[in-house]
Amino acid sequence: MLGFLLGEALRDLRRAGRVALTAVVLITLSLVALGGFWLLSANLGRAVSEWKDRVRVILYLRREPTSLEQVVLLERVKAIPNVAGARYISKAEALTSLKRMLGKDATVADNLPSNPLPASIEVTPTSGAATPDGARVLITRLGTLPEVEEVEGSVEWVERLSDWQRLLVLIGLGLGATLALAAILTVTTATTLVLHARRDETEIMRLVGAPEAAIRLPLLLQGLIQGLLGATLALLALVVFYRLAAPKLEPLMSITVGLPTLEFLPTSAVLRLLAAGAALGAFGGWLARGRSAT
Amino acid sequence: MIELHRVSKIYEVGPVKVPALSDVTFTIDKGEFVVINGPSGAGKTTLMRLLYREEEPTDGEVMVLGQPLAELTPREVSAFRRTIGVVFQDAKLLPGRTVYENIAFVLRVTGVPRREITARAFEALRAVGLSARAQAYPAQLSQGEAQRAALARAIVRKQALLIADEPTGNLDDGMAAEVVSVIKDIWAGGTTVILATHQSRLAAAMRRRTLVLEGGRLVKDEG
Repeated sequence: MLGFLLGEALRDLRRAGRVALTAVVLITLSLVALGGFWLLSANLGRAVSEWKDRVRVILYLRREPTSLEQVVLLERVKAIPNVAGARYISKAEALTSLKRMLGKDATVADNLPSNPLPASIEVTPTSGAATPDGARVLITRLGTLPEVEEVEGSVEWVERLSDWQRLLVLIGLGLGATLALAAILTVTTATTLVLHARRDETEIMRLVGAPEAAIRLPLLLQGLIQGLLGATLALLALVVFYRLAAPKLEPLMSITVGLPTLEFLPTSAVLRLLAAGAALGAFGGWLARGRSAT
Repeated sequence: MIELHRVSKIYEVGPVKVPALSDVTFTIDKGEFVVINGPSGAGKTTLMRLLYREEEPTDGEVMVLGQPLAELTPREVSAFRRTIGVVFQDAKLLPGRTVYENIAFVLRVTGVPRREITARAFEALRAVGLSARAQAYPAQLSQGEAQRAALARAIVRKQALLIADEPTGNLDDGMAAEVVSVIKDIWAGGTTVILATHQSRLAAAMRRRTLVLEGGRLVKDEG
């Protein structure tokens, strides 16, 4: 029976002709829009997540503490809420680090009369505190420690990146939803045309006692096939776009947001896009199926 | 097998009420061949549509194959229709399918296993003398052949009841005789037959029980 229903659905698709093709194209466009923005947003999300992991708050100390004072101070810092970790950096370590950064110009540091760099503590906030408000509270709290001369750290630009990511998701959803609505209406039109073309068949099917499923399922299947076809084409378009655009975009992304490679959508997203296509098509077919009763 | 008890049918066209059948009562036993005769507009088609539950009566009760049709759910209506065969004045064959496919289509949509379809379709085509035209499309058939193909479709599930609504209405005398002969063969095989016709001459030539309708009333039950 399933083979028969599928055969009828394919026959109906051929009958719908250009309208069915238009429906497939619209489903493809809506999923390309959705998937394209999803692709960009997923990669920006990776950048945001990496940057959030790298967020640090630096506490510059008034003077270099003794070994015992270091241990006590680190314990006090770690005990502050929203501090995930703390590492002590001595004046000497800071100078070594500076020299490493200066590279061939490191001799400049050798000529200094004394080490001007302060000892510091590098604080890693918890992920909950890696937001502008969370970081602000933490910085204020750390700044009250009597040993601390100055506190440095901000996560506002990471949050702005996160805002961009959310905006991309919204644009993708808005554009995708508008095109999806057009796609649903087109599938409904295609299915209604088929219904009109097959009204004699439907009448005969009813007269010979065909189950309602045999009359209506081909309409749903027809929509489902259009949806799956549209989703597959959309994924192919996204793969081609990714292959062509990724090598060109990667240097730019690396400089601007520190993301060296762009990744394609994960398998779960690919499956969701396929399911979305199938659902769009089936919904269009379902909307039209009510008219088969008349 | 069939019982109509005080059946009336009134169509409402806006505010206007058009009576199609009034107070019709009769019984048909299993294995009978009954002709429904009357002029155009007498209510024959309405009566036939009541018998295969395409219409419901305004008043009265219709029982077919022991089932009160008014009480059937949509699913039960489908199951009921699988036990009867219906043919019309126009054969209602699907133009894009061959004669064989038209008959196989009925078997497929009613869930008959694929391996049985060919044998059963050809058995029905042989019964109406049309197996040689199995691969022809409806447009390539004469009207008589088209009506015989419709009959093959109506009996392919070995239905217990055949309802034929003006099956010879569009045919010349020669073709009508062919079709009537096939219907008689089907009846001889044990199927109960109800045949509606406006042709009084044809009804008389049948020499079977004849119910005469006039203005929606049953005026004669003879034979």
